[in-house]
Amino acid sequence: MIRNRRKWTFLFSIIPLTVYVVIVIIPLLSSFYYSFTDWNGFRQTYNFVGLDNFAKVFSDKLFANAIKNTLIWMIAALILPVGGGLILALMLNEEIRGAKFYKSLFYLPICLSLAVVGQVWIWIYMPNWGLINTVLRALQLDSLTLAWLANPDTALVAVIIAWSWSQIGLSMVIFLAGLTSIPTELTEAAEVDGASYLKVLRHIVVPLLSPATTVVIALMIINSLKSFDVVYMMTQGGPFHTTDTLAMFMFNETFKKYYMGYGSAIAVVLFMIAMIIIIIYFRQVRKLEHLYD
Amino acid sequence: MKKSFLFVTGLLLILAMVLSACQAAPATEAPVVKPEQPVATEAPVVATEAPVATEAPAAKATTNIVHYYSGDLGLKDMQEIITQFNAQSAACEIKDNTTGHEDFKTQILVMLAGDNPPDVFSYWAGARVQFVVDSDALMELSDFWAEEGFDDIVVAGIQGAKDYNGGVYAIPQNYHFTGMFYNPKTLAAAGVTETPTNWDEFIAAGEKLIAAGVTPIALGSKDRWPAQYYFDYFLGYTAGNEYREKFQAGEGSWTDPEVVRAIEYWKELIDKGFFVADANAYTYTDAADMVANGQAGMTLMGTWVTGYWDGNGLVAGEDYDLFPFPTIEPSIPAATYATVDAWAIPVDAANPDCAKEFVAWALTPEMQALWAKGQGALAASAEVDTSIYNVVTKKANDLIAGGTKWAAGYDLSTTPPNAEVGLNLFAQLMNDASQYMTYLEDAQVQSAEVFGK
Repeated sequence: MIRNRRKWTFLFSIIPLTVYVVIVIIPLLSSFYYSFTDWNGFRQTYNFVGLDNFAKVFSDKLFANAIKNTLIWMIAALILPVGGGLILALMLNEEIRGAKFYKSLFYLPICLSLAVVGQVWIWIYMPNWGLINTVLRALQLDSLTLAWLANPDTALVAVIIAWSWSQIGLSMVIFLAGLTSIPTELTEAAEVDGASYLKVLRHIVVPLLSPATTVVIALMIINSLKSFDVVYMMTQGGPFHTTDTLAMFMFNETFKKYYMGYGSAIAVVLFMIAMIIIIIYFRQVRKLEHLYD
Repeated sequence: MKKSFLFVTGLLLILAMVLSACQAAPATEAPVVKPEQPVATEAPVVATEAPVATEAPAAKATTNIVHYYSGDLGLKDMQEIITQFNAQSAACEIKDNTTGHEDFKTQILVMLAGDNPPDVFSYWAGARVQFVVDSDALMELSDFWAEEGFDDIVVAGIQGAKDYNGGVYAIPQNYHFTGMFYNPKTLAAAGVTETPTNWDEFIAAGEKLIAAGVTPIALGSKDRWPAQYYFDYFLGYTAGNEYREKFQAGEGSWTDPEVVRAIEYWKELIDKGFFVADANAYTYTDAADMVANGQAGMTLMGTWVTGYWDGNGLVAGEDYDLFPFPTIEPSIPAATYATVDAWAIPVDAANPDCAKEFVAWALTPEMQALWAKGQGALAASAEVDTSIYNVVTKKANDLIAGGTKWAAGYDLSTTPPNAEVGLNLFAQLMNDASQYMTYLEDAQVQSAEVFGK
């Protein structure tokens, strides 16, 4: 019986496994392979350059700049979508009127593609007729109007805000799922004992929410590492590299400069960074398993 | 249940990880050994005057074309050219694959690198074609050029755009002229009655516009390339075209006195407040709108902007006009720095004969006229009746015919990696010109690496 089931499991897995190997594993291995070459993407021949591309990665000022921007993005991801999502979840977990409507409203941006999100925020940030500057002018705050996406001091923050707007609904939903799993007896008992809302939050809700928090943090960090679509739409890494994330930098080196070998090396480094994070994530998940036992 | 939740989430995360590192994965099967590809020597089947096909469409060879004419006007006219070709060709059926202008740059690379090249594709003549030729990915078209007699058909001033490594690899479809496109009403209202021809007159005209409350120049450099023409003109018009060509080939330095001088001319305009604020926030069409609505006086742009204005109902000669970039050094002859849109055929094209037949069709006077009218482009064929041009594009055509040298603009006349260096520098300059020497020194470090100095 068990042998039969294994056989069928294997048979049913063949098609998805084949697809996975063709569209994921082979390109992944190709990236590794080309990272040791000087291929330009067009030429039908190329040379093996050993670790030269990796040496260049670690001495490239623009790569360091992309790492810095990605780190800023990650930190912002922990504050805006994670913190914002938690606050929204706590608010909407209360029995307030129209909670379902607000949940749908805040979740809506995650249904939009990041290309659409980028275009919407380009309009919001337009210096001459964009929403932000129009409101500022209406409030007689003309001195605060800026070319948000063209100014090197504000471009990165502006793009991160647009991205966070699209992600906050996702973290809110995960936190809401986590909140519903917290036994109400615990919070009610604490309240009966005179614990304030903040104390209940600090000593009961937040600790019991840690599995959901781990998921949200990992998701946001990974999404921030992958941040490309919204940057491509809004700034393409500009003005002059100030919004270059690792993924955007990799794209520009590969498809604008035609350094396919170097771009592959950047992809490999990005993969390694992501793998480190996922390993930390899994270790954390294992530690948290006792909460569910 | 909750363990399963964590497990499934974890799996999804792993998948996300893997995909994140695969975004730049190149084509998986780039052959290490260059396949032997014969240079096309067969006589092309060109049937520009073939009778209307009577055979069933199934008998025709499907020929894939990829082009970047995705805008409203370009798409419509290119589809019309293709439809008419398909109707008259006995052997070929063109299948249109339009790609967005910016996406095209990536898509064509992936298609050429993989095993799925189109039969013919549009491309920007100059360094981009050179790059693909050097990569052995294009078919040589010297015989095709000779057999079609293109020497006598294509405008003489742009024929240099066809040659790479001693052979013909790109067939021009159209070309453009860059110059100062202005709003005649705005300039007249500011008291500028004569268009400037030299630097002093240009500065004086700009100052009159500023005094009238109008920003002299609209620039939309969000996509970076619109700013490059200032560098082209300042370098070409102060150091001369010979130096400019050497510089573009990597034989100069960003810190050469010639380049510094060119940038200082540009900085002079910025410091005088000639440009609209926050130029890096706008596109070239935003800048065109500013000129059209009188917010700015002029914009340095290519003839393609006339297609945009015409599409918006503006009237050439009344709502917009053109004057050539003002002379700076009288001894340096006039030039224009722009683009030639061309056709190229991949070395691995499945159906090169049909591709050539289509290119010859696109170069017929009728198709060239249809194309040039809609695009605001100048026809590559000299056989086109110039009465198809409006007063502004005719002025551009006459300037080229009158001896104005045509040269490829900055990003089409240097290697793609070096083009990135300059395009970033120009954006920096438009953001804060005071640090221009730092930008130049930094650009030189990057450029030296590109050229292996």
